[in-house]
Amino acid sequence: MTDDVQHIISKVDEIVREKGNTKRALIPILQAIQNTFNYLPEEALRRVCETTSITPENITGVASFYSQFRMQPAGRHMIKVCVGTACHVKGAMQVYDAFKRHFKLKEGEETDASGSYTLEKVSCLGCCTLAPVVQVDDVTYGHVTTDKVDSVIQDFESQVGKVGDKRKFRHADGREFQGEIRIGLGSCCVASGSEEVKKEVERAIDGTGINLHLKNVGCVGMCHQVPLVEVVDEQAQHKLYARVKPNEIPDIIHAHFKPKGLVGKLKAKAYDWLEKMQTDEVWEGVDRYAIDVREEMVSSFLDRQLPIATEHRGVINPLDMDEYKRFGGFDALKQVLQMEPSEVIQTVKESGLRGRGGAGFLTGLKWKFVAREKGEKKYLICNGDEGDPGAFMDRMLLESYPYRVIEGMLIAAKAVQATDGYFYIRAEYPLAVTRIRQALMNCREQNLLGANILGSDFNFDIQIYEGAGAFVCGEETALMASIEGNRGFPTIRPPFPAQRGLWGQPTLINNTETFAQVSYIIRRGKEHFAGIGTEQSKGTKVFSLAGKVNRGGLIEVPMGITIRQIVEEIGGGVQNGKKFKAVQVGGPSGGCIPASLYDTPIDYQSLIEVGAMMGSGGLVVLDEDDCMVDIARYFLSFTQEESCGKCTFCRVGTKRMLDILNKITSGKGTLQDLEELKYLAEWTKKGSLCNLGKSAPNPIITTLQYFYDEYEAHIHGHCPAGKCTEMIAYSINDECIGCTKCAQKCPVEAIRFEPHKKHEVIVDRCIKCDACRQVCPVDAVEIISNKQE
Amino acid sequence: MVKLRINNQPIEVAEGTTLLEAARQLQIAIPTMCHMEGSGHFTSCMVCLVKDVSNGRLMASCSMPAMEGMEIITDDEECRESRKASLELLLSEHVGDCEAPCQLVCPAHMNIPLMNRLIAAGDFQKAIEVVKRDIALPAILGRICPAPCEAGCRRKSIDGAVSICLLKGFAADEELEQDFVPATPKAPSGKKVAIVGAGPAGLAAAFYLNRFGHQTVIFDKNGEAGGELLHLDEALLPATIRKKEIDRFIKAGVALQLNKEVDAALFEQLKADYDAVVLAVGAQALDWTQLGLTTSKTGIEVDKSAYQTSAEHVFAIGNALRPSKLAVRSVGQGKELAFILNEYFEKGKVSAYPERFNSKFGKFQENEIQEYLKESVELERQEAGRGKAVGFTRDEAVAEAKRCLHCDCRNPESCQLRNLANDFGAVQKRFQYSERLPVRKEFAPQGIVYEAAKCIKCGICVRLTQQHQEEFGFSFIGRGFDVKVGVPFSESVEKALTKTALLVAEHCPTGALSKTEIEEQL
Repeated sequence: MTDDVQHIISKVDEIVREKGNTKRALIPILQAIQNTFNYLPEEALRRVCETTSITPENITGVASFYSQFRMQPAGRHMIKVCVGTACHVKGAMQVYDAFKRHFKLKEGEETDASGSYTLEKVSCLGCCTLAPVVQVDDVTYGHVTTDKVDSVIQDFESQVGKVGDKRKFRHADGREFQGEIRIGLGSCCVASGSEEVKKEVERAIDGTGINLHLKNVGCVGMCHQVPLVEVVDEQAQHKLYARVKPNEIPDIIHAHFKPKGLVGKLKAKAYDWLEKMQTDEVWEGVDRYAIDVREEMVSSFLDRQLPIATEHRGVINPLDMDEYKRFGGFDALKQVLQMEPSEVIQTVKESGLRGRGGAGFLTGLKWKFVAREKGEKKYLICNGDEGDPGAFMDRMLLESYPYRVIEGMLIAAKAVQATDGYFYIRAEYPLAVTRIRQALMNCREQNLLGANILGSDFNFDIQIYEGAGAFVCGEETALMASIEGNRGFPTIRPPFPAQRGLWGQPTLINNTETFAQVSYIIRRGKEHFAGIGTEQSKGTKVFSLAGKVNRGGLIEVPMGITIRQIVEEIGGGVQNGKKFKAVQVGGPSGGCIPASLYDTPIDYQSLIEVGAMMGSGGLVVLDEDDCMVDIARYFLSFTQEESCGKCTFCRVGTKRMLDILNKITSGKGTLQDLEELKYLAEWTKKGSLCNLGKSAPNPIITTLQYFYDEYEAHIHGHCPAGKCTEMIAYSINDECIGCTKCAQKCPVEAIRFEPHKKHEVIVDRCIKCDACRQVCPVDAVEIISNKQE
Repeated sequence: MVKLRINNQPIEVAEGTTLLEAARQLQIAIPTMCHMEGSGHFTSCMVCLVKDVSNGRLMASCSMPAMEGMEIITDDEECRESRKASLELLLSEHVGDCEAPCQLVCPAHMNIPLMNRLIAAGDFQKAIEVVKRDIALPAILGRICPAPCEAGCRRKSIDGAVSICLLKGFAADEELEQDFVPATPKAPSGKKVAIVGAGPAGLAAAFYLNRFGHQTVIFDKNGEAGGELLHLDEALLPATIRKKEIDRFIKAGVALQLNKEVDAALFEQLKADYDAVVLAVGAQALDWTQLGLTTSKTGIEVDKSAYQTSAEHVFAIGNALRPSKLAVRSVGQGKELAFILNEYFEKGKVSAYPERFNSKFGKFQENEIQEYLKESVELERQEAGRGKAVGFTRDEAVAEAKRCLHCDCRNPESCQLRNLANDFGAVQKRFQYSERLPVRKEFAPQGIVYEAAKCIKCGICVRLTQQHQEEFGFSFIGRGFDVKVGVPFSESVEKALTKTALLVAEHCPTGALSKTEIEEQL
């Protein structure tokens, strides 16, 4: 036996000892193996089979099902290009291609020749407002364009091995309180550099005597402006700074707070001066970025909203239990502990709360079904497997309001007499997992979990189950199969999870957002909640607003608000003065609602009437530059990859619809193909086993319904939006000033380097990567249709 | 107990009974493929969808439990369309040939690979039986046929087509050399058929009609049976062979009236006296319109799918329709017409010759020949050392027959996918928009072959190997459209099926796992 194999065996044995030796430990075992070896060596999998009750069939089926697992070693660093909806519409595929070119990867290759980097696409990193997003190991880069690939790699390499700033945050030392600085620590904020900003604040106030309370807060929702720093000064005046760069921190601080004492002042000055000497960046000044909360832009972003699941947003520290309690946290639980379970269920039922996971089933009724079942055990699962490639509200709720979600779960558990709880959280959300893990520990310490909760006879605990990357696991039967250590194959219902769920026991599964709304209902009363929203859809809904909108972010709005209000008032309209074309609601299961239906109210019924659905709550705004056939193709390529591969209609139907859409977007489609597309859409909807398959054709059905003319144009060889690369060409017009920027950026030398002359695109060489158009300072690069209408 | 109605029939079943089981209790057939009694339901193929009348939804009957008050329809237009749609989707990725290209090309549709396997195994008796299912005059055709089948042979472009024509002649000669034992005739049906013309078409029709038990009389203007065959060169077709082969089957019970020219009067009489009249008169310059038949530019006009002329129970085949040099086409038409007439006599209605569904994948891609050679030998095409008119020796024949690549499927009869595609009129090409999977053949003990490209991912083999605790067994690998059924780790199919090889082959609903040594067509 070689040393390598011996090493693998001893590591695997260690992992098995820690995770367990039955099938239910399978996915955690695989995750641990991959963490150790960066892929799943066959020797390791064989060893698992030898030492556990897991069979080769089981381990192979599972390891190959979930996208997280790799069978081949990866490079030392992982580059994940997000191809979620918001990133897609902002050119993620071109960015992906640019990385491929950068590393000279051939078709089918993922790892560069030196074994340093492995490039992969991920369906969504949940940072839609920073689109296009690229993650290199744990560093997230936002707004990446094709011409920024080199600088991303450069920047990342400059960070590798760098030891973090060791300076500790200077805690408030009991002297007079001067003010507060709040820094957002949601994924968007962290991705955009809020950690750096935080360190910078600590550095800036160190030794100056400025007495500041530095506070971490969860997601503020204004993800379009991250990183956000909110300063509350001595007069309790709030000022929000958006898109803050670390080097701007000293000025922000000194604009609000005066250093104490002469030494402090001198030090501050010296520091400022030194800082500016050290950086040769042109400093853009802070004022440009300062946003006053009273400013109209901010108030319109916030005023239309009604935070329930996101109550106290931007104010509370996600993991500060005392603060959560100060804002009424766990009051609802205390109340519920004094109530009869049936009374709790009745309250939730009468509040009109419906499942926020998409289908909109009445939550109270679901609870009732579980409550009336008898079982040896009863499980409760919080579905945080947010797989919609354009949605991130579960992530944000888990990261920013962990206690609220836990409280909702506790209330539900009490109501249905559940004994064991699970958080099923998507693998792509490491921060959410960390926060929830910590929050659960804190809850156990405070006797909010475990035996005899808060002195009552109620026992309940929750564990975390990390998903391994499968959209279909958002479907409840597939989710349970996954926890049981199986492939995420959905099964026919009935039996429903309420009757026979996890390990055959009655099980309640609710979406994260549903749980996040429960404590509010108990605390404020069912009537209050039922007073919000519409007749059939009560309360509020959290959406992730992204795409071509000025102010994207996480919003919580009362049901019944119109699409126009969301896009125009909250979102501040379409970016760059472009024309609103459609909004994609509900991700791969949803549909595209056109401008003519701008005033559609957002509630369960209305969305279904226009062919979309609430789905997970992604709202991606599309403008005149977006090709609707391409959007349909995009979603089908997603569902086709995410189909579990079980039933014929979904497994083959989605693939064939994608084939047809590929044919149409490459200009080879016929009218007959359109008819076949309709036929397959109809039958995949009718014939699929689970809701993933049944809803997969929705993006096609709605685009065919509202944008049929675009399909026809493609059949005639013309892409009206100029998106489908096989139907367009790049050209440079007379505006060209001969600056050569485009020629320098062109990766294939399709533009000759001729200073001060009008440039030209050599069409045969052009790969349509869009780099020239992005870099042109005078908008001289145009996209023209191969075939004029 | 649960009460429900299926196709308007009330039924009461135990709780937990599936809709499929309930329907079967009512003798209502619902097709299935992924379903297998006793292995738990899987709900993948979706050909068993039925409709819940209350909400119009379709659901998989194999796994949906019957519920109180349900009103189920199993066979309306929508249910049938759902089966067709799912079959067409499955077929779009099903890479396999139900029948070998040579057989499809053969105008008589002879089962060539089966014949080859039997000759290779030395079972010449069975080989000629198989030949004669489709070809009435194999010794003759074995010498004169231009062998379009060989043009279809996948080996043609590699090292020469299998010498099919000579093999067929060899099998026929083997039989001709034995003493003639007339087959026990079928009980006479009481139906009489007059055949005009004793050429290849007429003879073939007579041969098969006689087999079906119908009384057959051939009228021919010549003094000898054979039609066009009489004009062939001795070097090509020795007269002894011709006579011997024709005589044998005439002796089997076909009446022959020679030197009889058919004119208008006789034609009228035949029409009156016989249950059917078959015109196999060859390319004669007769004015058929005077006999009341419509004609085309090339000859007598018939409904091509049933060979029916414009006159009631008058049929025409062979060169009478269109002059052709291919005797095998005439022979094939003779066989088809015999079948059509037999059906007609049984059912009182003329219906088209049934066209069976055939899955096809066309040309080999790179390296696929290697997969097929696993079941064959690397050997150049054999020539008949004694000349074509004499034919192969036994050794030559066996060696040549071993060159066959066995392009046909070994489950052509039991394949549910094929049978259902046939029943629901599914079209394989309809959704074939992208490249096909490559063909791979892997072998397991007990003569089992696994061809993953034919797999419909029903998971029956995965469940069976699991149930029988194979160490490796089969597993689903990957997901989505790319999911495949394969062996865990880098193990072989041989390792996967140490005890369940026969079992999984028997239960595979298509030909992905099949037995190569037991011919289901015999």
